[in-house]
Amino acid sequence: MNQFVIAPLLVALCTAILTLLTRRFGRAQRALSVLGGVGYVAAVAWLVASVYPSGGPAVYHLGDWVAPYGIVLVADSLSAFMLAIAAVVTLPALVYATRHISAFGQQVSFHPLFHLMVVGVTGSFLTGDVFNLFVWFEVMLLSSYVLVVFYSGPEQTTATLRYVVLNLVGSAVMLLAIGGLYAATGTLNMADVAHRLANAQQYGVHVTPVLGLTALLFAVFMLKAGAVPFHWWVPDAYAAAPAPVSAVLAGVVKKVGVYAVTRLYFTVFAAAPLPDLALPGDTVLGFFGVVLLAIAVLSMLFGGLAAVGQRDLDRLLAYSSIGQVGFILAALAAAALRPEFAAVGITAALVYSLTHALAKSLLFLLSGVVEDAAGTRRLGDLGGLARRSPVVAGSFLVGGLGLVGIPPLVGFFGKFLVFDALAQTDVVVGLAAALVGAILTVAYVSGAWNRGFWGEPSAAVDGWDADPVQVACVVALAVGVVAAGVGFNPILEFARAGADAALDRAAYITSVLERGGDAA
Amino acid sequence: MTEATLAVVLGALFAFGTYLVLRRDVVRVVWGVTIISQAANAYLITMGDIAGSVPVLSHHGPPFTGTTDPLVQALVLTAIVIGFGTTAFALALTYRVYEEHGTIDLEEL
Repeated sequence: MNQFVIAPLLVALCTAILTLLTRRFGRAQRALSVLGGVGYVAAVAWLVASVYPSGGPAVYHLGDWVAPYGIVLVADSLSAFMLAIAAVVTLPALVYATRHISAFGQQVSFHPLFHLMVVGVTGSFLTGDVFNLFVWFEVMLLSSYVLVVFYSGPEQTTATLRYVVLNLVGSAVMLLAIGGLYAATGTLNMADVAHRLANAQQYGVHVTPVLGLTALLFAVFMLKAGAVPFHWWVPDAYAAAPAPVSAVLAGVVKKVGVYAVTRLYFTVFAAAPLPDLALPGDTVLGFFGVVLLAIAVLSMLFGGLAAVGQRDLDRLLAYSSIGQVGFILAALAAAALRPEFAAVGITAALVYSLTHALAKSLLFLLSGVVEDAAGTRRLGDLGGLARRSPVVAGSFLVGGLGLVGIPPLVGFFGKFLVFDALAQTDVVVGLAAALVGAILTVAYVSGAWNRGFWGEPSAAVDGWDADPVQVACVVALAVGVVAAGVGFNPILEFARAGADAALDRAAYITSVLERGGDAA
Repeated sequence: MTEATLAVVLGALFAFGTYLVLRRDVVRVVWGVTIISQAANAYLITMGDIAGSVPVLSHHGPPFTGTTDPLVQALVLTAIVIGFGTTAFALALTYRVYEEHGTIDLEEL
């Protein structure tokens, strides 16, 4: 038994229940919640330490039912890397929330919902079963609905309505795709699906419907990742949600879509032989590579252009994260289009995911600090923050330059690896779009800096009153952006191990199904 | 015959759900989403082979040979429970939208 696989899930679930039970005792609830956050980081660290150096996937059979009949949780380096991202973002966001959310809001529901969202995210990263992926998505989404509508003003209700209806339709589509996949392959266990698709003839699996159904699933994952053309709920939802929730939505929840694409399309579906159809791409994976590239190019251009025109800090960051997810998807597209460079592309996507999670959650928390301390986050009403609060301004600079990609910040390596992957695979369209996207990033980051932080302090900034704990959380993330860049080598090694784990189908199938030899 | 009927019913449900989702009234949109997800549940049931099979507990009644796949029914039960939760939330949200905006007409929001 590999108990460490289920540890992060249990920690987050227990914290959610405990914070619900102690909601009448404000201080105790906040203490438990932060303690649970620390426990989550510890559990993830235990998982990373157990999985990453040894390499092979660790499998936890729920209720000791043997796969493929029972439900399994699978932890390999890819899941471990994504969980590490989740852990480094949730803890600062949680500490920040104890000082940012009103006491009443915390008491009523914030902490249980936040931890339940973490449960959903953790489950999505760990599950080895396609239907369970749907269930964990729902756990994550249901709590995120309530967190987005948390302030329940006019702006929040409209944004949430959009977010909810879109995601409910997405869930129905996902259910259709999963049901069809079950009928086509006869199994829901990811390793078993991969195994049967690799030996399609032997198991009598028709690959053509599988291709169509995976395309349906793909649309749902792009919706979760907030990529163009499924992006239009993103700005409203991120602007409406409380700052720590936006930080987790952009830093972690978005990455669940990226993870699902990586796991399912590179590990599970890639083994399928290509049906004889007139489609772009030479393989099933190559077909999705073309689609991914188109989505990535559109996201980078649209997100960047829209962010340049924003006057509200939260909306600017939200549009920026549409553009940034484009960079991640571009690296995945490069990996899908040229299988011999797949490891390079996935490594780039993972490093960029970490970069974006650190920098964007830092900036969302900072936007919350600015709103709390100055009473506004409209860039036109701000100004001179650099003089009023050098610490906050310095953190913004670190986060902004992290997005832009200046060495030695971790953002530089993210950008560099994405460009490297696109160049190595000769994806000229992607390379050109990424270049434009990078220039647009410089434009909106410097625009926000000039309007909000440079110049004479405005009336709003004169009344500046920042909470030290909130500022400390932002500074901690800024230190993280610098430290991850300076000590980059171990992170690169970890990301490479994650990419190898995503591509090593045989190891995944063998360890989940516990059978040797005949694995794909 | 069963398949044809089911296919027609499923198609009609999806069409009706989509029609409702495209209305201006928020309550109708919520109804539409609910009908679409129920149609997805019904579709899921058909994935367990309809023709010539019987419920899982085949010893109730005459001795049957074939049984339906119990897994899809378990999946649908899970999906229904999740559907309950999301529908309840969507309706509560609709009420909240009405409180905040004084209207549930999407054009006026």
